[in-house]
Amino acid sequence: MSQPKTSAPKAASETQLIARAQRGDEEAFAALFEMHKRRVYSLCLRMTGNTAEAEDLTQEAFLQLFRKISTFRGESAFSTWLHRLAVNVVLMHLRKKGLQQVSLDDVDTSQDEPVKRDYGDHDRRLLGSVDRISLSRAIAGLPPGYRTVFVLHDVEGYEHNEIAEIMNCSVGNSKSQLHKARMKLRDWLRQNQGLTAPGEPVTSEPAPTER
Amino acid sequence: MSETRHDTSAACVRFELELQAYMEGENRPLVLAHTRECAFCRVVVEDLEGLRAAARALPLEEPTRVVWSNIRAQLAAEGAFAEKASLWNWFNRLDFLRRPVPVAAFAGMVILGCLLTAPRDYPEQDFNSALAAPAVRTAVGSMGFMADSEALERAVRELEEAFRAREGALAPDVKATYENSLLSLDASIRECSDSLQREPGNSMAHEYLLAAYSQKAEVLSSALEFDEGR
Repeated sequence: MSQPKTSAPKAASETQLIARAQRGDEEAFAALFEMHKRRVYSLCLRMTGNTAEAEDLTQEAFLQLFRKISTFRGESAFSTWLHRLAVNVVLMHLRKKGLQQVSLDDVDTSQDEPVKRDYGDHDRRLLGSVDRISLSRAIAGLPPGYRTVFVLHDVEGYEHNEIAEIMNCSVGNSKSQLHKARMKLRDWLRQNQGLTAPGEPVTSEPAPTER
Repeated sequence: MSETRHDTSAACVRFELELQAYMEGENRPLVLAHTRECAFCRVVVEDLEGLRAAARALPLEEPTRVVWSNIRAQLAAEGAFAEKASLWNWFNRLDFLRRPVPVAAFAGMVILGCLLTAPRDYPEQDFNSALAAPAVRTAVGSMGFMADSEALERAVRELEEAFRAREGALAPDVKATYENSLLSLDASIRECSDSLQREPGNSMAHEYLLAAYSQKAEVLSSALEFDEGR
């Protein structure tokens, strides 16, 4: 998983905060929450597509983190540890809800088959920058299995081998699910927003400050 | 300028077969070659690449403040936060002050403490002028403190005697609980007293000793109240 670049002072500061939190310092807990809340909440929101559930899961992820923080020894990056924990919290939640409609545990026998796509009746591409609201809506509308792989890979930056480990599936399966998810998103977006002709300039969203 | 698609060529089918691998970064010359010839398939690649870029650029969302409030409340309920060593927190621990029975005993102890710590007629001014060495002042302060702690000890001893007179009425498990607490506090008092014997100016030992006496008074008062409430 790609890690956000952190400056040495920030890393040192986080290390100190972790040490203080391990001693039960309330301010350190609050500071660690402030540092990571947006990334964890965004992950939960995109994996569930529901703000109330996302807040509950963010809360649960941080509670689990703070309860276990005394066991953190710094072998891995704190953010990696936290995000993996958050992913597990969300997956557990989805499994409890029985929403794993597209199970990645199933053997995918269709990997060699072409993904059916909407050819459309014209050669125009999706409007330059897919606006964030449309994309968020489209992601929320994906079946949970596709959504999970798409969010983990294309949004969060996990590698397929990491997703395979998290989802207990094969790397090939993860790739296949991702491709299907992208094609579904494309179909939905083509049906729900403006199109632009090839060759027209593409404007891109400014890169987020934290990622 | 938009073409309308009527059919899918065999090349388009091959393109689709290799598209997933191409999007995963594998070298697939057929895909590139085909997109140069087929506008429809080129748009598919452009769309997928645009989607991938848009997904990476999605902004982070902000949770509401309720999330931290809930986390904080839950952690506080679980006792995850270390108490800050403030005078207020120390005072708050003396919750027995809210109960009627031991108030008189504790108030008496506080008054006694105030009397003992109030300025006295020690010849300190004389010492300060004539014997200004810090060691001498420390020794004088220690003498004052020893008088305080002895008085506190006497006050606690009186509470303890009251407790001993009534302890027979307590249930064995309740009595054992109080006994354990008192044993632990007595050990702390002994430890602090020993430290002060060796090092009369040890302010930390002084502070701990006072705290231990206060806690012992709290335990004894609680026990007396327990007995009273039966």
